[in-house]
Amino acid sequence: MSRIELRNLRKDWATAAAVADVNLTIEDGAFVAVLGPSGCGKTTTLLMLAGIYNPTTGDIAFDGARVNDVEARDRNVGIVCQSYALYPNMSVLENIMFPLRFKKVERAESKRRAREIAALVRIDALLDRRPSQLSGGQQQRVALARALVKRPHLLLLDEPLSNLDAALRLTMRTEIRRIQRELGVTTVLVTHDQIEATTMADRIIVMNAGRVEQEGTAKDLYERPRTLFVASFIGSPPINLLDGEAEDGLVKVHQTTIAVAAPARGAVVLGIRPEQLHVDETGTPARVVAVEPMGREVLYTTDSALGIVRFIEAGSEAHHREGDSVALRFSPEDAVLFDKTSGLRIDARIAA
Amino acid sequence: MATVTFEKPLSPARPDWQALAARAGLRRSAGQAALLAFLLLVSVPIILPYFWMLMISLTARTGGVSTDVLWTACAVIVPAVLIYSIVHSLVPSPRLRLVTGLLLLAIACTLLVALIGDRLHFDNYRFLWRTNIVEEIRSKATAGGQFPSVWIAFRNSLVLAVSQTVIIITVASLAGYYISRFAFRGREAFLQGLLVLHAFPAMTLIIPIFLILYWVGLLDTIAGVMLVLATIELPFYVFVMKGFFDAVPWDIEMSAMTDGATRRQAFRLVVLPQVSVGLIAVAVFAFIRAWEEYIFVRTFLIENKNWVMSLYLFWVADDVMGVDYGIVAAVSVFYVLPSLLLYVFCQKYLTQMTIGGIKG
Repeated sequence: MSRIELRNLRKDWATAAAVADVNLTIEDGAFVAVLGPSGCGKTTTLLMLAGIYNPTTGDIAFDGARVNDVEARDRNVGIVCQSYALYPNMSVLENIMFPLRFKKVERAESKRRAREIAALVRIDALLDRRPSQLSGGQQQRVALARALVKRPHLLLLDEPLSNLDAALRLTMRTEIRRIQRELGVTTVLVTHDQIEATTMADRIIVMNAGRVEQEGTAKDLYERPRTLFVASFIGSPPINLLDGEAEDGLVKVHQTTIAVAAPARGAVVLGIRPEQLHVDETGTPARVVAVEPMGREVLYTTDSALGIVRFIEAGSEAHHREGDSVALRFSPEDAVLFDKTSGLRIDARIAA
Repeated sequence: MATVTFEKPLSPARPDWQALAARAGLRRSAGQAALLAFLLLVSVPIILPYFWMLMISLTARTGGVSTDVLWTACAVIVPAVLIYSIVHSLVPSPRLRLVTGLLLLAIACTLLVALIGDRLHFDNYRFLWRTNIVEEIRSKATAGGQFPSVWIAFRNSLVLAVSQTVIIITVASLAGYYISRFAFRGREAFLQGLLVLHAFPAMTLIIPIFLILYWVGLLDTIAGVMLVLATIELPFYVFVMKGFFDAVPWDIEMSAMTDGATRRQAFRLVVLPQVSVGLIAVAVFAFIRAWEEYIFVRTFLIENKNWVMSLYLFWVADDVMGVDYGIVAAVSVFYVLPSLLLYVFCQKYLTQMTIGGIKG
């Protein structure tokens, strides 16, 4: 269990920088998710933490001590790969005992520990099987047990749920969270799935193009995205992003002009979440062009005076049909405004 | 808008499902029978010579060879095989198939014993315990005086093949791993070089190699041939092993290293077991290749105490061909037996080698 720090971390490949200017502190026992689209440098960061890659510049510190030059096998890090990477030539028990081989643990003792951790991840009935005889979820648990058996300082999860079916993903999410809490191990989860990140982690780090876009809780990211990228990446169905022109406290979006109390000028982007738009007689006129029932809710796509805008209504109230005219309204404090060129949020409330 | 109407429906409203199912079943078994017939047909030119060799070794006596034993045996065995394959494609129950098979086998054996039983003998295999067979047949051997015991040649062949296998497995697995996993300057050129070396006709180098062996004092030694063969064969096996290593996911090695293994431990404990099929295949091929080697051993081994099995067979054939076919056939059977056994037991690994190879 360690406090992990990354200082000015950078990794260059032959052609481009995979990771640049990453500064992070992960508190002891925290569960942190690194979230980003594929190719954003999140796995590279993870492998630098594991010691598989060496950073080009910058430092990695465990509990304040620099570990850049410590080899992977001495870092006491547990890793669960997307493919689980179980050793097919060994039984489940041998797989779990494998890390203890290199720690000079007696065989009887390592067997005892392997059994203990197997019970924790609930695979104690499968110890004699081969990995190929297990289902995806079971393999996942074995990989987790193998990563945890040596009581790592840091647990790394690289897209651990992406090979599971939807129902199993749900159970494993809760399971991993439970096990992490029980052991109190510092954990870094790498994922491109925002649901995974928001449901499992205490804090989320959003990465894009090798840089950290924003760090914070799921609520922070959702309600106060620092950049246009975070706003568009977080949330499903995605936020409505409407191009506009700002001048003298007014933002002109499509055919609508909105007053803002911000010193915005030039090209801006207005962001409104689909659930923040409500049907209201006094609102902006819109015409429903598509209706997509999603179970509990219905997603409408409309052609409005704001442009193409999506909004959500609870299934019980939803009764609009394609071609219906509605009027949409949003509370100004819900919407966010971004500078289009820098992509940064303009820290201001919209007046009306 | 024009309406389209079919004058006559293309398929009946209520198809006769049972008839369709029966037709599909018939078609399936017909296809299988055709396949079986084809395989039988193409295997004839492969099996017949071996079978003839076996028959000669068991029946021929000094002098000419009569083919009537072969034809008699074929007249019994071919119908038996044909009947069994027909039964196999028509009878679905495995129990019934087994019973028919055993019955046919018993009938064939009885017929064989009755027809040619009195002509079977093991005299031709006397080379296994006698050394001077050639002199017994035709006064003096042409090959360096006294003929050696077949067991000396057998041992030499074994030494050559086993050491060859060990060298190739060790070098090919290490080199294949390195090429598969590490980037180094000239990697592409190296890979292409391997392919060129593999395609290069090594036979053209036989005189320079002879001279080199002579100068370094390895001419007429098993070790010399071993080195030459290993060098010529290695490029191909390195390439094959690279293919197998390429198929082992990098994730697994990475896991092993974060689990606390060194790179070498990861290789030995995790990666190597996953290419075991490839190792076995390469080992079998290397062994058989060295076992069957003729041109290089013929050139580089001179004294008869250094003969390997192929040379022994060559000299026997050279000395008694035309006089005693039986003994040549018997030596051939003895020579082919180890390769045959290896092939039979390692068949399933050998078929996977091509897959690994193509991946590379």
